[in-house]
Amino acid sequence: MKFLADRAEQRAIIALIFIVIGVPVIILGYQFGIRPRLNTIRTIDIVAAAPENGGFQPAAFEVNAGETIRLRVSSPDVVHGLAIGPGEGWDFGIVKPGEVKEIEITFPEAGRYTLYCNVWCSPSHWRMRAAIDVFGDALATTPDPIIERLTAQEINIDAPHPAENVPAEKPSVTRGKTLLAEVQSSLPPDVLSAEWRQSHSPAEARALLINLDDAEAWDVVAALWLGDADPVQLDESQVLYAKNCAACHGATGNGDGIGAATLIEQGYMGDGPAAFADPTTMLGASSDILYGKLRRGGMGTGMPGFGTVFTREQSAQMIDYLWTFVFSTE
Amino acid sequence: MQNRFELTQYRWVKKMLQWRGFQPVLMLFTLFFFVIAILTGFFGTPAGSHNFGIIFVWIVWWALLMIVMVPFFARLWCTICPIPAPGEWLQRRSLIRRRPGKLFTLRRRWPRKFRNIWMQNFGFLAVALFSTIILTRPSVSAWVLLGMILVAIILSILYENRIFCRYVCPVGGFIGLYSLTSTLELRVKDAQVCKDHKTKDCVTGNELGYGCPWLVFPGKLERNTYCGMCTACLTTCTQDNIAINLRPFGADLLVEKGRSLDEAFKALIMLACALLYSAVLLGPWGWVKDWANMDTLPHWAMYAVAFITINLLALPGIFWLTAAATRKLARLDIPLKKVFVDVAYSLVPMGLIGWIAFSFSFVFVNGSYALSVLSDPFGWGWDLFGTRSFPWTPVLPDMVSGLQILLLLAGLVYAIIIAYRIIRRRAATDNLAWRGTLPVAGFLSAVTFTFLRLYIG
Repeated sequence: MKFLADRAEQRAIIALIFIVIGVPVIILGYQFGIRPRLNTIRTIDIVAAAPENGGFQPAAFEVNAGETIRLRVSSPDVVHGLAIGPGEGWDFGIVKPGEVKEIEITFPEAGRYTLYCNVWCSPSHWRMRAAIDVFGDALATTPDPIIERLTAQEINIDAPHPAENVPAEKPSVTRGKTLLAEVQSSLPPDVLSAEWRQSHSPAEARALLINLDDAEAWDVVAALWLGDADPVQLDESQVLYAKNCAACHGATGNGDGIGAATLIEQGYMGDGPAAFADPTTMLGASSDILYGKLRRGGMGTGMPGFGTVFTREQSAQMIDYLWTFVFSTE
Repeated sequence: MQNRFELTQYRWVKKMLQWRGFQPVLMLFTLFFFVIAILTGFFGTPAGSHNFGIIFVWIVWWALLMIVMVPFFARLWCTICPIPAPGEWLQRRSLIRRRPGKLFTLRRRWPRKFRNIWMQNFGFLAVALFSTIILTRPSVSAWVLLGMILVAIILSILYENRIFCRYVCPVGGFIGLYSLTSTLELRVKDAQVCKDHKTKDCVTGNELGYGCPWLVFPGKLERNTYCGMCTACLTTCTQDNIAINLRPFGADLLVEKGRSLDEAFKALIMLACALLYSAVLLGPWGWVKDWANMDTLPHWAMYAVAFITINLLALPGIFWLTAAATRKLARLDIPLKKVFVDVAYSLVPMGLIGWIAFSFSFVFVNGSYALSVLSDPFGWGWDLFGTRSFPWTPVLPDMVSGLQILLLLAGLVYAIIIAYRIIRRRAATDNLAWRGTLPVAGFLSAVTFTFLRLYIG
């Protein structure tokens, strides 16, 4: 019996040592020592925390063009959305608190990409970004002509550009198209130029249409601004807007998104996020100004720059979509 | 003994319980999970719903403790609890083997003024005060668990036996009190045998095993409160006089011996905490939860003052008035303090039922998290058993309220009956006893109504 008792004691001691020392060593050793070596492809562990809790950690990492990597993302606090831009349309959906999301991704081209959250996660949601530097043979990049134009014209894109005169009711693109076909020949050449429209506001165009009554003139302006817009691209921009802009600017463009009040409270937004559905705010601005603001962000405001998130084409299409808040496409 | 069914009459049960390795093996088993809980607390995801430590300690363990272990198996948790294990093994310098000689401690004497459960009362209040933080933040939870082990070790170095379990453990206090209701007990078969037995091996220990680490003499055991169910006395008893019995629910509630003010306060604190937890965690007042979560220090300070006041002054004060009314209506010729202590034992089943009802509200709703954390205890993306992606699945969410109503109403009726039976032992007639029961019934009904308001609106 004594022998058995001693055997039991020995086994119990071994079990105790295993539990108190062996278990932690095995678990931590596996997770931090062995597991990274077992990965067949390079794995980058990313903690996606609300910006107040540190944001994306790490906030920057490097990969090689053409290299497939695995991003293992976990959220310690709230639901975050995961997307990488610009281009490629990488939207990986949400990661819930405590969940681990694994994403395998190959960057085809060198350049700087942005991992960003596209779900309203906190009052500082707009800060939640991480830089991804992709090395390789970089494609030659050309300067953005719109930004160059804005710079050359020394236009202050942060200043308000209110329209002095606004339509009594929402101008209609459909009505304007019909009218445009009738009056096109009598219109000033400037308003018919896409390039001119890009750098001028709808209010400036309206001021040139002196032979039409106010409602007709605004309908024609609506048709000039959105008559050639691709409905499919408008739909795509609407999705991007809902994910990236609506939290502050509101789903209906009234500047009343879920984060608007907090941003005002925190002093980031002055009177609040821009209300795209407000004709006074919108009709005095040109597409160039809106584009510049979207790409660069607002200086001293909570408006983040989307130049590292959206492609130039996506940005231009987004501006077209913004016009739909003041011009009816129905 | 009446209405008892002796489980130790079965040879294999008795043999198993007499084996000295019985408790250490179970403790090693739970120690394994304890170590995992601490590791996940320190190294795992801070998201409580995906952290083993939070889910298994505060949902699985808590639900098992309150819904199964305490009502049916008394201090079974104390039998298998790993917290005192390291200290006890250090004292004995062995896990299973009976080492000859004295325990390895400094052999200090535990102060007489602390030989009660007041420390456990205040310890529980302290934990309860920070509970919204402890229950949701894995690292804090891990520090609490680790801290309890360290305190138990320190006390085992200073004092002999399980001073931590008997007088300090904030959990052990209420487990002991609620074990009065339990359907399991450890008792002697014949008290006279113990009385006549000179060497009292169950207290002093012998070559078969150690003396009772809970400082209990089984020969005088009439209530479950302080028996840790470690079965050491079964091992050491040379008279074959120890039995583990099944018995009716609430059998100890009418035992007068051992009733005390500290236990009465424990009953009140547990009831107040059940109500406060329900209000803070389940109630519609988000600001209360924010205050409890320390959104600002002044808010938390106000919450703390309110919490302590309700626990130590308001509810006991109301119950003191209730006891005074009972004393007057039942024409009891005993001190008010004695009446207060006596009738407080009717709060024991009420409190236990309240905690079970409270536990239902989260175990049915959030219990499914256990499957995913079992596969991925740290939230590192592991999938040990293929259940990592098991979705959050509330179980019978439509039935929870119904179950809570049934439980609380049954608990109310049972508690009133217990109150009547306690008072009947002091009152001269049935009529006076019923009259004396009225204020207590009113108090219990108000508590039940408050629970129902919180659970079903």
